[in-house]
Amino acid sequence: MLGVQSLGPLVPRRVAECGGPPATFGAPARAVPVPAPDRPSGEAAALDLAERERWAWVVLLSVSGLGPVSFGALLAAFGSARAVLDAATQADGPGRLLQALADAAFDADDGPDLGLFDTCAAAGNAKDAAAAGRGGPRARQVIGKDLAVRLCEAANGGGAAERVRALGLNVVTLEDAAYPDRLRQVELPPPLLFVRGSVAALNARNAVAVVGTRRPTDMGRLIAGWIGSALARTGVVVVSGLAVGIDGAAHAAVVAEGGRTVAVLGGGHARLFPKAHERLADAIVESGGTVVSELAPETSPSRGTFPRRNRLVSGLSDATVVVEAGRRSGALITAGWALEQGRECFLVPGPFDSPTSAGCHAFLRSFPGQARVVCGVAELIEDLELDGDGAAINDLANEPQSGGPSARPATSRTTPASAPSVGRAALLASLGPAERALAEELARGPATADQLAARTALAGAAVLSALTLLELRGLARGAYGRYSPSGPLASWSGEVGG
Amino acid sequence: MLASLLSATLHGLDGRPIRVEVDVAPGLPGFTIVGLADTALQEARERVRGAIRNSGYEYPPRRITVNLAPAELRKSGASLDLAIALGILVGSEQVNANGLWAVLGELSLGGELRPVPGLLPMVLALSRRRVKRVVVPVGGLAEARLADGIVVVGAATLAEAATLLRESRRGRTRSTPPRVELAADITGNGSADRGHVVNGGSGPGPDLAEVRGQLEARRALELALAGGHCMVMIGPPGSGKTLLARTVPGLLPPLDDDEARLATVIASVSGSGPVTDLVRTRPFRAPHHTISYAAMVGGGPHMSPGEVTLANDGVLFLDELPEFDRATLEALRQPLEDGQVAISRVGRAAVFPARFQLIAAMNPCPCGHAGEGGGRCRCQPGIVERYAGRISGPLRDRMDLWVHMPRVEPAEYVRSAAPEGSVGVAGRIAASRRRQIHRSGHPNSRLSGRALRAACALGPAEQAHAIRLAELEGWSARGIERLLRVARTAADLAGADAVDGSHMDEAARFRSASGARIGYEAVG
Repeated sequence: MLGVQSLGPLVPRRVAECGGPPATFGAPARAVPVPAPDRPSGEAAALDLAERERWAWVVLLSVSGLGPVSFGALLAAFGSARAVLDAATQADGPGRLLQALADAAFDADDGPDLGLFDTCAAAGNAKDAAAAGRGGPRARQVIGKDLAVRLCEAANGGGAAERVRALGLNVVTLEDAAYPDRLRQVELPPPLLFVRGSVAALNARNAVAVVGTRRPTDMGRLIAGWIGSALARTGVVVVSGLAVGIDGAAHAAVVAEGGRTVAVLGGGHARLFPKAHERLADAIVESGGTVVSELAPETSPSRGTFPRRNRLVSGLSDATVVVEAGRRSGALITAGWALEQGRECFLVPGPFDSPTSAGCHAFLRSFPGQARVVCGVAELIEDLELDGDGAAINDLANEPQSGGPSARPATSRTTPASAPSVGRAALLASLGPAERALAEELARGPATADQLAARTALAGAAVLSALTLLELRGLARGAYGRYSPSGPLASWSGEVGG
Repeated sequence: MLASLLSATLHGLDGRPIRVEVDVAPGLPGFTIVGLADTALQEARERVRGAIRNSGYEYPPRRITVNLAPAELRKSGASLDLAIALGILVGSEQVNANGLWAVLGELSLGGELRPVPGLLPMVLALSRRRVKRVVVPVGGLAEARLADGIVVVGAATLAEAATLLRESRRGRTRSTPPRVELAADITGNGSADRGHVVNGGSGPGPDLAEVRGQLEARRALELALAGGHCMVMIGPPGSGKTLLARTVPGLLPPLDDDEARLATVIASVSGSGPVTDLVRTRPFRAPHHTISYAAMVGGGPHMSPGEVTLANDGVLFLDELPEFDRATLEALRQPLEDGQVAISRVGRAAVFPARFQLIAAMNPCPCGHAGEGGGRCRCQPGIVERYAGRISGPLRDRMDLWVHMPRVEPAEYVRSAAPEGSVGVAGRIAASRRRQIHRSGHPNSRLSGRALRAACALGPAEQAHAIRLAELEGWSARGIERLLRVARTAADLAGADAVDGSHMDEAARFRSASGARIGYEAVG
């Protein structure tokens, strides 16, 4: 039995029947749709109005517990976010908001209310979430009342918009043209995205999610790196969740390759999690990528926010690749969402007794004909059938180098990923003999200093000083005394070791 | 009649001469000791009474008052027993004193004399007071004779001491008892200057050739011991951390004369056994992680030296570092910086030397298997960081060398050739240490500021290199100093006069493991 099924995304849902939201969000709105009051001052006033409406969205959606459904219900009832805020500052505000929320909830009472379910989970209140799912209108009303009170507090308190501005975040609403199209197509897209870095990267022509366990094997980490850098080289934006493990390895490989990658946070921007990846997040933004969250900046990550984040990871991507996943891994939730959203889903198999691949295998078994298997980096690129514009970031004209352990039997495939990365020969030529020997050895897989010494027959001191140089040049990276290839070295190691 | 004898007690690492005045007066039989004597000293009454009776003398049925001067100094220990007993014998006119003798020693009920901890500093203090002759228990004779400028005579019993006091000529001395010889024997290691065991009973330890693999850790240890730098080893259980640490005693360079004198005094005060010769071995202390705060830094009822002092000029090895009590670890920061530890209690204060080199070992996570792959680590993701977080930033900052020790695969263990043994490595360490002392008078770990800059003699290219490294790793000025110290040691091991880029690179590599690489995966 797969954990995912009990967790939700694959359970049939009838959210579409729920009253308000689809009407509000159904058609992708290309232009700024805020009704511009026809006044002589014209365009400037309209822009100003649109801007005010946008910040009203920010204020509303910064309220913990307000998700797509309840937000849609409020918009439907009041016409605009500004109207909601205005109402909330009135004396009878809480009552009117509660009425609107309750109406929406009653409309949807023939199925679990996704919006309230999600938002309660987001508020870290699993008990309420369960009650909302099961407990009928009364439970929902209780939750709605809390929400209405919080909304009124937010409307009167303010400050949410200032926090967003202070953090230098871009805000993209569902009504903006810049809102990612892929995400717009999923059921109940998040109304608002808080974006750090490039907004354009979210709308890249091709985007593929690479996700997996937070506790991978060395091999899993390497595979994630290979896939990440191969995708980056074909110009694909790699989407992942910035978690430790597979996610981090994939992001880091793309950054090392100079590609663009999108990290979707499980919390707010001001509560970046995990802290260990703060530097990685900076690097992602610096290299033209994006760190994005649908949660207000001050939202702490919690158990409920990660499944919600996973929906965005798959929703922002054309396809999802799971590298390693244990039986109960959150990566399987992402894979489940991908299928739900009608996207491709690929899983990297492992030894069949490997606990870190058990989830992948179980998923493949549960969804024959839907989930697909990855049997090599080049094959994956081929299977993805990217209609890529070939905007590869690297010069791919380099011919495969002759000789050397990295030479690979020529295949008929001409996908860009099977071409070697830039300047392998130049890279190797720039190294001394000892470093070159180590680099070639490292490309075969992670090893300890002792193993490298034994395999290269170099003296211990020579191995250590060569490793130091490789580390400083960013070609090797040590963790727990084991060295793995890094940067450019990692990206062509896939061709040697794979 | 009134008798007055000179003796001494211990105060911190120093001896303090004490005048013992005994008044044996007619009156109701009684025995009072005045002059801030602690419990052990008050119990001297019972020991003295028994010793006098069982040595064939008469315990006078009179009023006995003992005054210990100076009165304001708190006195502790049993070193005054002999002086009190002889005072009573002189006061009751059973023994005649002839000449200026000082006497030291604890008495048994049977009248035998026992050596006391700290005999050497007490004799030294008496010598500084220009006392000419001192009677000590034979068991501590060899130790007491290490002091210059004073005639030291051994006595086995109270009666013998009384005889000595009466004779003006030099008393006969006893040869050292056999158990001292035994103690001297187990230090061995074949080398004459290995000296005598004072380091908590640790022998010479295993040879470095027994440590298979662990290229990096061996190199880091060589650097650490050569320059006196602090080092942390991180690795799963069974990777050889403890074994490697146990080779340290066989690798440490011998103490020089000044250090040896201090080490001998500390060994004497620590009371771990009679000292028979100048201690030439660097101490190696390995307290268990359940150690109390006072046992680590010193203190307690007798202001005893703690492990940090017992490891002075040597190595303090802390296995399972995160398991130590947090307060105990934090207490190491000040001695690591100042080289001494000041202990203050109500009424007294003492400063102990604590210039030790910290070598620590730890698992990467509570289960010990993080980083091994294959799902062996059973810790939840956040736990690993929290485990590393038990070592505070400031303490972490004081550790210069961080090295990971991966598990040695069975094939490597079985097939690998025997690596270099202790003798070669110890030779290089000693040679490097000699260079350092010759150049600046200190090991590199104690260089700072101008002395450090002078020692490194960085050219413009090297300066640029140092700046680039510091920017890369985000180091402060202190971080650069720490880097340069280790780089200087790397240069000394290589026999180079100036520090160059490769030395700095090596130092940076062992240092950069400190933050990012414990528990976290390296990024980008």
